Amino acid sequence: MKTKNKIWFSVLLVLFTFISQPVFAAQTGDNLDAVVQIMLVITILVIAFVLWLAVVYSEKNDVKGKTFLEPAHKFFSWISSSTPIEKEKDILFHHDFDGIHELDNKVPPWFNFLFYGTIVWGIIYMLVFHVFGDGQIQANEYKMEIQQAAFEKEILIKSGTFLNEETVTLLTDAAGISEGKNIFQKNCISCHAADGGGLVGPNLTDDYWINGGGIKNVFKTIKYGVPAKGMITWQTQLDPNKIQQVASYIISLHGTKPANPKAPQGTKWEEPKADSVKTISK
Amino acid sequence: MQVEKFSYDNQIVKQFMIASVVFAIVGMLVGLIIAVQLYVPELNFGIQYLTFGRIRPLHTNAVIFAFVGNIIFAGVYYSLQRVCKTRMWNDKLSQFHFWGWQLIILAAAITLPLGITTSKEYAELEWPIDLMIAVVWLSFGANLFGTILKRREKHIYVAVWFYIATFVTITVLHVVNSIELPVSLFKSYSVYAGVQDALVQWWYGHNAVAFFLTTPYLGLMYYFLPKAANRPVYSYRLSILHFWALIFIYIWAGPHHLLYSALPDWAQSLGTVFSIMLIAPSWGGMLNGLLTLRGAWDRVRDNPILKFMVVAVTAYGMATFEGPMLSLKSVNAISHFTDWTIAHVHIGALGWNGMLSFGILYWMIPKMWGTELYSKKLANSHFWISTLGIVFYAVPMYWAGIAQSLMWKQFTPLGVLQYPNFLETTLQIIPMYIIRSFGGLLYFAGMFMLVYNLIKTAKAGKFIKNEEAEAAPYEKDADKFKRGMIHRWLEKRPVKFALLALVVVLIGGLVELVPTFLIKSNIPTIAAVKPYSPLELQGRDIYIREGCVSCHSQLVRPFRSETERYGEYSKAGEYVYDHPFLWGSKRTGPDLAREGNKYPNVWHYLHMEDPRQMSPGSIMPRFPWLLTQTLDISTTPAKINAMRSLGVPYEIGYENFANQDLQKQADVITQDLIKNGIPAEPDKDIIALIAYLQRLGTDIKVNQATIK
Repeated sequence: MKTKNKIWFSVLLVLFTFISQPVFAAQTGDNLDAVVQIMLVITILVIAFVLWLAVVYSEKNDVKGKTFLEPAHKFFSWISSSTPIEKEKDILFHHDFDGIHELDNKVPPWFNFLFYGTIVWGIIYMLVFHVFGDGQIQANEYKMEIQQAAFEKEILIKSGTFLNEETVTLLTDAAGISEGKNIFQKNCISCHAADGGGLVGPNLTDDYWINGGGIKNVFKTIKYGVPAKGMITWQTQLDPNKIQQVASYIISLHGTKPANPKAPQGTKWEEPKADSVKTISK
Repeated sequence: MQVEKFSYDNQIVKQFMIASVVFAIVGMLVGLIIAVQLYVPELNFGIQYLTFGRIRPLHTNAVIFAFVGNIIFAGVYYSLQRVCKTRMWNDKLSQFHFWGWQLIILAAAITLPLGITTSKEYAELEWPIDLMIAVVWLSFGANLFGTILKRREKHIYVAVWFYIATFVTITVLHVVNSIELPVSLFKSYSVYAGVQDALVQWWYGHNAVAFFLTTPYLGLMYYFLPKAANRPVYSYRLSILHFWALIFIYIWAGPHHLLYSALPDWAQSLGTVFSIMLIAPSWGGMLNGLLTLRGAWDRVRDNPILKFMVVAVTAYGMATFEGPMLSLKSVNAISHFTDWTIAHVHIGALGWNGMLSFGILYWMIPKMWGTELYSKKLANSHFWISTLGIVFYAVPMYWAGIAQSLMWKQFTPLGVLQYPNFLETTLQIIPMYIIRSFGGLLYFAGMFMLVYNLIKTAKAGKFIKNEEAEAAPYEKDADKFKRGMIHRWLEKRPVKFALLALVVVLIGGLVELVPTFLIKSNIPTIAAVKPYSPLELQGRDIYIREGCVSCHSQLVRPFRSETERYGEYSKAGEYVYDHPFLWGSKRTGPDLAREGNKYPNVWHYLHMEDPRQMSPGSIMPRFPWLLTQTLDISTTPAKINAMRSLGVPYEIGYENFANQDLQKQADVITQDLIKNGIPAEPDKDIIALIAYLQRLGTDIKVNQATIK
């Protein structure tokens, strides 16, 4: 390979590795890291393979080409039990098609092994899944996955890590509220406006609530949504801590003055006395 | 022995070659445009005929049927005459075939951007064009067999076996998959519905790859590789074994495109096991190609033609190993619907088909113009730029596919999706899309080196229109072969050969298709699933016209990560009225199987006008014309009638009231939009599309809260 080509190639390689970084930068999790490493290795291998091809097949590398390829060819001839080129005449058909001759080399043994091996594998696969198994493969697989997840969730709920509308409390710390603001800006503003004044969805800053105010009701509305009125279910998208943060942020908006407030909808909400009494008694 | 004098028809080869190169450039240019549209959605210039959904099928059709198709015919017409030692059977038929095929391509180039499509992948062309394809294809077959039957060679060469299998199988595939009921001149509905349509389509789609992109190319390889290398074919026995194994096994593997779908499990498993069994027969072709180069490897270094062929055959080997791996359920669970598939097909298309085509072109043109290749150096540069192009195309696509798939599947420790917003996963892989298009650009640039080199070569020589040849006449008794008698016997009988090939390819198709159609338990019915309302039906046809299926699947697979994101997984019984099915094969955007009632009407309205209003950063094109174009409701009765003929239970006479229902439903949606401050009108395309989207998956929509 010419030096000029080599430089060009290296520049591209570096460029490529560089650009690929941000793709995985935002991710965490063990299996992702492992996959990134595997992919990195494969990528380098592919590029190395192309480089190797370049060296082997470059016109000015007669000698190297031989050294590179000879052992591979010998090994391949050996496992393919092919007739050596010198004895080729013995297995040549004495006929040609437009000058193309055919040899009668044996089918490589490893090829037969692969071919018949995969057939046996196929038969076993079908038997295992459809004769000795119950034939409901993917439905069962799914059921098990769901059961496992439900089991794990149960533990989380019991330990109190997994908040629900019964156990949720209002956050008042700045960190929680500002996190809630981020979530709000990302997910809610197309319907409720950036300042909570309401667009398609209702105004969130006034005293009136369609589905009840207060942290528990707001949490519940966000979690399950109100599909009939266009409010999406968020529990599959936001984990309970995030719902708590965004609900707390929304409640913190109360009394602010949005630019274009939507007219009040729903009923006027007052914090139930019992609740506050409870809080005091605690 | 008396020798007969005759000539080979080079004119027809020349025509097909020129067409192939021209359409290669067109097809790749369209590919490049849609690749860039994925990160610059404005690149359609706001013109509806240039949106991704409409020109993506233009790219695939141009590359498969125009570029590859024409080079196949060029190669077949060149090699067939020579291995049969005769001129083509009928020159007029050759010309009819050529011009007919170009007419089909022209028709495709006009209808696809207009949104005239059946939406079935690689079979998008509407029924009048389907009929044209059938006629032209049969004319090719007649010429093929006419030539074989008047051959001077006793036996048919292995390349011709592959040509015969190609003709026989493509005929069957095209006819079965294209059975559709015309509604108007440019609109038809597939006679199959839902799961059955999906199975037929992927039986076709997979075997279009097998018998249009693979077997004819193996035939070409068997002629042009030994010719270019001037070496004997490595093993005749291997040819026989891998030929019959390949055509028998290939046909079964279609269902691997439908793993973890609503297709019955047994059919999915057949797809998996036959894909694995396909490794060896595919590799048989690669082996016979590479081992034919024994003793010629020193020439590979300084012969760009052989370089192209070596990389082509190697790419074929890689793709045919990767394919079976992608058919394993555990791998498919990750790869399906992602860019991994795109990478895989481009290893095949750019590597195997493209590189072999270039090798053949560089070999044939000097021969037909009686000269030497103008510049070996330029051909060499073309080789390197193409190889680099493939690497820069494929590697980022693998990264993108795996990265996005893992992001789709990632849960937080609290058991909630880590990336619930689909768009977040898309934005993550945009850099990969940019590198991919750079790879495509390299490959595309190489085409101009090819064109320049070939024109210069042709100018240096003189075109030999009719190449003189001589051969001994066909003799009944002469039998020069002694070994391998059984197959040699068959090789002398091309018609029996073709019939046997037909039987061999029919087996797999019948075993998979017939039970899926006849046995009821394979598609359990669901009482709640009702036919589409007239407005929804019209909306569905807009969805088809705009090519939404190019980027949006309608198939929630049975994984927790998908049911959490999209809702209950898809059941076979939900699709019984879907003529055609719209499962899709790629999720550039999110799945839409349960899109109904997820967002308010106004969201869809604004999202179609400009997706970035509702989802900042979205790469979806804008569809503002849907807001202004008036829906053509004159077609409603015909559509209702057609659907009823296909078994959709609309009451007799409903076609007379259908438009009243349509308008009622349109008014409800329009009123809702107006209430939300949108100046909508009830007679626009957008209203029908919203009606359809809001219907999707709602028949059995289960409450999210019950799925924990």
